[in-house]
Amino acid sequence: MPKIKMLSKRKQKCPEGWDDIEPTLKEFEQEMREAENESTEGMRKVESTWSIMRVHHQRSKYLFDLYYKREAISRKLYRYCLKNGYGDANLIAKWKAQGFEKLCCLQCIQPLDSNYGTTCICRVPKNNLEEGRTVECVHCGCRGCASSD
Amino acid sequence: MGDAGGEDVEFPILCETCLGENPYVRMTKEKHGKECKVCNKAFTIFRWLPGRGMRYKKTEICTICAKLKNVCQTCVLDLEHGLPVQVRDTALSIQDNVPREEANRRDYLAKMANGLEVLGEQTDFSGKAQPAGREMLKHMARKEPYYKRNRAHICSFFVKGICTRGSECPYRHEMPQGDPELAKQNIVDRYHGNNDPVARRMLARSSVTMKKDNLAVAPEDKSIMSLFVMGMDTTVTQQDLRDRFGAYGELKSIVVPPKGNCAFVNFKSRAVAEAAAAAALGGCIINEKSLKVAWGRPKPKGPQSDIQKRQTSAGADDSTLASGKARIPPPPGALGDSAEYPSQDPTAMGAVGK
Repeated sequence: MPKIKMLSKRKQKCPEGWDDIEPTLKEFEQEMREAENESTEGMRKVESTWSIMRVHHQRSKYLFDLYYKREAISRKLYRYCLKNGYGDANLIAKWKAQGFEKLCCLQCIQPLDSNYGTTCICRVPKNNLEEGRTVECVHCGCRGCASSD
Repeated sequence: MGDAGGEDVEFPILCETCLGENPYVRMTKEKHGKECKVCNKAFTIFRWLPGRGMRYKKTEICTICAKLKNVCQTCVLDLEHGLPVQVRDTALSIQDNVPREEANRRDYLAKMANGLEVLGEQTDFSGKAQPAGREMLKHMARKEPYYKRNRAHICSFFVKGICTRGSECPYRHEMPQGDPELAKQNIVDRYHGNNDPVARRMLARSSVTMKKDNLAVAPEDKSIMSLFVMGMDTTVTQQDLRDRFGAYGELKSIVVPPKGNCAFVNFKSRAVAEAAAAAALGGCIINEKSLKVAWGRPKPKGPQSDIQKRQTSAGADDSTLASGKARIPPPPGALGDSAEYPSQDPTAMGAVGK
């Protein structure tokens, strides 16, 4: 998390364009706080972290869209946001690679995290699944993040 | 003696059904993964998927417990027949001598030379010495693997109507079928062979079928005074049969058809035949060869022919003598019972005539 700075100092260091995106980023921060504090009543043990992963994905996606897709912010501002924890640089890096455009989270492509050294089931394209059953992956609750889905 | 968690077990003791149809199963191994459900010691857990759409299965009891009873580590059913322990032990009259309490058990197992292997050899789990029992088990066993056992368990929330997981729920969304009495099962009871509802049901049913098949009960036709012996080969001679069955009373004759793998032992009187049957029915062992023994049906020719002539004059049952063959059931409808299906009654399907 970014170091808590004095309000004045912070404002000075902000690059141009910050004021336009600041409200959305603050909303995401708020959502994240809610996800962290929500009651886990009726949830499965693994399900409790899913909303956190979801918000994390969403705000990184927002930054990614702004910079790479819409090219609406400057490089300086983009770097500034990443540095201050408003998005996950590693996750965004994956989205730039072919086949990983819709990747849900970094855990799902980590073979060390699975029993048989494979990637998560959410990475399997739906037409290869054949069961007709909806999958909710255990790490982040993803229902399928293959690029063809 | 290696303990079940520490020693490096390469592969678990499993039955074919539990492993599943896929020959290329992936298995994870976790030493000291869980406690054995029977002896509560930590042991190596193996976990695998027994087929598409099945639940993941894992070993529930440790290697030692499994070897002591010759059962599968997951389903706790006999490895040879796939039957509950209680059924197999009743049929083969196996006694459970291993002490149950932890410390006594350890001492007992340690005392056995080479531990389990000797113990396993001492107890005859396949019933070589009990052909009657073995027959019964073979009769009761399934012919093919029953993969339905590997399906996911029933979603208890669905049964109550409150399953919020919907289509991603890994449990079965069906209502529980089958007898609720059979649903109350306990793995420890099943393992030791006490109070197993499934076993009880199986044993009760088998005693009924035994009677129906005339295996245990003498045939009503009092004229049949012969036993049918099967499973013979050159090691068992006519003289051996004569010796064995002559002990019960006078033999009329022994007929061995040219093929030689069976024989008819004809007794002089019905009482003698029944005495012999009581002792040998199901199976007996001659010259270390286990033979199957059942009530016989009179042969068309041979020394019995004069018995047949006497029966004819006495007005005995026609169908038995008519061809000497097995009693063929009358064509459907001949006995006047109502047709169960429309196809049994030709006219119902639109056929004309008869």
